[in-house]
Amino acid sequence: MTFEVGAGEIFGLLGPNGAGKTTTMEMLEGLASPDAGTLRVLGLDPTRDAPRIKERIGVQLQTAALFPQLTVSELIELFGTFYPRSIAVNQLLDELDLQEKRGAQTKTLSGGQRQRLSVALALVNDPELVFLDEPTTGLDPAARHSLWQLILRLKAEGRTVLMTTHYMEEAEGLCDRVAIIDHGRILDAGTVDELVHRRFHERTVRFDRIGALADSTLAALPGVSRVANEEGQVVLHTADVAQTIGALLDAAAAAGTEPANLMIRRATLEDVFLELTGRGLRD
Amino acid sequence: MRSLVALSRANLRSFVRDRPALFWTLAFPIIFVLLFGTIFSGGGKLNYNIGWVDQDGSAAAKQLRAGFVGTDLVTLNDGTLQAERDAMQHGDIDGIIVVPAGLGQATDPSHAGGAVTLQVYIDPTRTNASQGLVQIANAVTMGANLALSGRPPAIAVHTETLQTQRLTNVSYFVPSILGMALMQLGIFAAIPLVQQREKLILKRLNATPLPRRTLVASNIVVRLVIAAVQTLLIVVIGQRVLGVELIGNVLAIAGVVVLGALTFTSIGYVIASFARTEETANGMTSVVQFPLMFLSGIFFPLEIMPDWLRGVATFLPLTYLGDALRQTMVGGAPFVPLGVDLAVMAGWLAVCFLVSARFFRWQ
Repeated sequence: MTFEVGAGEIFGLLGPNGAGKTTTMEMLEGLASPDAGTLRVLGLDPTRDAPRIKERIGVQLQTAALFPQLTVSELIELFGTFYPRSIAVNQLLDELDLQEKRGAQTKTLSGGQRQRLSVALALVNDPELVFLDEPTTGLDPAARHSLWQLILRLKAEGRTVLMTTHYMEEAEGLCDRVAIIDHGRILDAGTVDELVHRRFHERTVRFDRIGALADSTLAALPGVSRVANEEGQVVLHTADVAQTIGALLDAAAAAGTEPANLMIRRATLEDVFLELTGRGLRD
Repeated sequence: MRSLVALSRANLRSFVRDRPALFWTLAFPIIFVLLFGTIFSGGGKLNYNIGWVDQDGSAAAKQLRAGFVGTDLVTLNDGTLQAERDAMQHGDIDGIIVVPAGLGQATDPSHAGGAVTLQVYIDPTRTNASQGLVQIANAVTMGANLALSGRPPAIAVHTETLQTQRLTNVSYFVPSILGMALMQLGIFAAIPLVQQREKLILKRLNATPLPRRTLVASNIVVRLVIAAVQTLLIVVIGQRVLGVELIGNVLAIAGVVVLGALTFTSIGYVIASFARTEETANGMTSVVQFPLMFLSGIFFPLEIMPDWLRGVATFLPLTYLGDALRQTMVGGAPFVPLGVDLAVMAGWLAVCFLVSARFFRWQ
């Protein structure tokens, strides 16, 4: 497995459960040692310089619980003392929207609050590089959205983010580049557009079936390579969307109608993922 | 240093907010001290109910009777031998003293006859009462003999002996229970450790620059602070409530307390090294703590244990902590010299330290 994350990037590791995402993260965080290979984090070797790296990175672990009897602000304050430099507790409480819960013992927090606290602890040392392991898993849509905003803000502040996720729309919306991994190997890496275009050159054009237009007619339209039927809709695979649609509209007009629910769709990361791993991300 | 203080404070806060832990480490030993203190001090002043059978009836016999009453340790019930034996069978009295006929004659200075013998009936199954009564009888008759012989009296010394004997039970228990409390405190160190490992708190801490030695040091600081609180509470209750007199040097006591807390905390670390889950850790602490509690001379003095049991006790670290605490706090009779106590504890500490250093897992 070889990959590089540039400074200021949001890089996503995608893969089915057991693919090796968390292990990869933990080796970079200095929590696990690699059997073989070379790692460099901020120019340093995690197997030798772990303490110096740990001062400059922020880590959010997938399942780590927190001291259950400490309050939110006590815990943030405690973690602050582990670093030579730390952000004020109040500022983090504001940024993670935890002000209201500052005096609550962590065992009383909801899943979303716990996750936000976990991210707050990862930011306590004002890190250059932030590791987020499935940061939005188990969050409701509103909480997930606000965490996305936060992650984009981290990037805007010039930090580098290395994250894993289960959610395709998260990877597409946040990550500058992603790597799809399975069984400890990188299957492909690059920007989302690169990954999609590398495999899917054609778009699909869909519309509700028009009785007057036979499949043979549709197959003869310019650019169309294949015609399929899906749940009452016609799906045209085409390399040239503009030409295909123009000809389709003309043909429909000649038949005295127009295509309903016309939709152009390009392949998504999900399609790439399915093709590469042969299974869905959440399987 | 800043992180050590902060982490120790965080761990102490967690401890104080964890009610069950607070109960078992602080309230439980205090309840023990009060309970045993009250039982063994007889709810206040020690006093035996004794049957008094006067078959002589002389002035000397009356004087001897006054001597017994004067000790304030016995209450005498006059009666015939038969009546007193019945009363003793019923458990109404603790023993019988029979003054044979001829006492008056034997104590008459003008009379040169042989001595008479006081008959004392005791029930050997009631160890405390029997020993007490024999000692009282010996002390009183010795006092009477000395008075008769006209030599300067040494009675006061014997009275003192009886006083110390009376206090010994409570004095024995206060340091013993402090030892038990320190043992539990140390062994229970395993529980939060295993909890923190299971909940990946140790892993999360490992993702910060916090050195592991600081983590271990903070756990030890916390145990020592709680040990100090335990010691203070037990000593104050021992002194104020139970009237146990501390004769030891405060520094020596503190040294033994610290060594004891460290030794048993290291045993807690060994448990945490081998217990994967909190349930296992709970089970293992019980398996370790109960034999220690009952076989280390905490509740029963080592002297009254059968030989084979005492053989077992010589292997247990709590035997030595209890012995060291009794020696330094109340001047208890040594089981082994203090130096040996300290050496054995230090040995356990060293071995457990090495074992945990080898086997403890952070994740």
